[in-house]
Amino acid sequence: MFDFRFYEISRQPEYIETLAYGVLNSLWLTILGSLFGVVLGVLLALGQGRDMPLWIKAPSVSYVEFLRNTPFIVQLFFVVFGLPLLLGYTWSLEASVVLAITLNFSAYYGEVIRAGIQAVAKGQTEGAMALGMTRWQTIFDVILPQAIAKVFPSMTSQFVFLFLTTGLVSEIGVQDLTWAGRYVADRTFRDFEVFIVLTILYMLMVFAFKGSFALMFRMAFPWWGKER
Amino acid sequence: MRMKNTQPTTFKKGSGDIAVTLKGVNKWYGDFHVLRDVDLTVKRGERIVICGPSGSGKSTLIRCINHLETHQKGSINVDGTELSEEMKNAEKLRQDAGMVFQNFNLFPHLSVIDNCILPQRRVLKRSKDEAREVGMKFLARVKIPEQADKYPGQLSGGQQQRVAIARALCMEPSLMLFDEPTSALDPEMVGEVLDTMVGLAETGMTMLCVTHEMGFAREVADRVIFMDAGQIVEENTPDAFFDNPQNERTKAFLKQIL
Repeated sequence: MFDFRFYEISRQPEYIETLAYGVLNSLWLTILGSLFGVVLGVLLALGQGRDMPLWIKAPSVSYVEFLRNTPFIVQLFFVVFGLPLLLGYTWSLEASVVLAITLNFSAYYGEVIRAGIQAVAKGQTEGAMALGMTRWQTIFDVILPQAIAKVFPSMTSQFVFLFLTTGLVSEIGVQDLTWAGRYVADRTFRDFEVFIVLTILYMLMVFAFKGSFALMFRMAFPWWGKER
Repeated sequence: MRMKNTQPTTFKKGSGDIAVTLKGVNKWYGDFHVLRDVDLTVKRGERIVICGPSGSGKSTLIRCINHLETHQKGSINVDGTELSEEMKNAEKLRQDAGMVFQNFNLFPHLSVIDNCILPQRRVLKRSKDEAREVGMKFLARVKIPEQADKYPGQLSGGQQQRVAIARALCMEPSLMLFDEPTSALDPEMVGEVLDTMVGLAETGMTMLCVTHEMGFAREVADRVIFMDAGQIVEENTPDAFFDNPQNERTKAFLKQIL
């Protein structure tokens, strides 16, 4: 029988601290990437609209297809190491990683939001236009709020999925939760215990996210499900 | 079905005695010829009912007047504005020609009063307080001020359609278009919507209604138009139209629905 020795981790304040920092880093990377990613995602979704001119539509579709069909680790290396070389700029590792995460997330969020926009009845656009509202007013005041409410559950699960993929950033030395786990495991030789702790921490964070999203939904969309 | 205690409201009047003129209007959906040489002149304050079998182009006709659809040949003039496929100021025209749809098209994410406030704020740039005041005035006109803070989904179909009428009136249009406003309603709710429309007619509003409510047509219409296969086949006062139809297709249609 395997002898679990969790105290090898817990007795060292440094390890606890490293893991805590890992949790925080994973948190803010995901939250920042999601905030920017959703904004960009909305633009990508709109850019793929049926009546968009080709010069907007074609790049939007290509962008989404490219980012969804290539591995995140490759995108990460390209954005963090390749792009600065190509364009000749220097950013901090954190900024570059946030950019990489944002670009990757935006493609996924964009597709979910696009589905939402398509699911809003055509009559909504006609109703708004018949009142004299402009196209952009119609999109922002009428279509998007309903579209996002419709796909909110999908957005939540997409968020959780993307959050779990951020562990890959540890590959380039970003000190996220996965990196922290490696760090502790390498020093304690208790890999099994460390990865059990990681699993629990990731799971707790996912539960926290899901809870906050459910709360957010109720606050942002009080009208949802209000039927006789 | 007469509405009592109607407060006549003065509406912004467009200039001139003619509200809408259509001359030789043609429209195709691909190969399908929806409107064929439609000529129609609507005088200000006139109430017109358009009826006809499904697919005859009646909805398309009034959607063209609101520029929700574009026509390909002929001319449509609404309150002095000539409509064309590439016109830029369609929003201006649409706030002048209110539209009520079969499926209400209320915004489900906004409360009833906010449904009335939003377009006033965005299009007419009214202040929030003014928009609310106007909204409440018209909700009172359609007799549901007490539902102002509910969401559309919490109302019955008839109530929703009355909200849709109030919302359109908030924009103070000079012309109202109705696209089968009672067709999606349960029978017992048709009356309340028709009452509202009769009340509106009594204020002198110019109205074009696509409807099969022949009682309504008889009571308020100045003219009844019968369309078939994209053409205006017959056009007459309600009494003459119902009691003495001239065209064979009109006769067959009336036999079906009366």
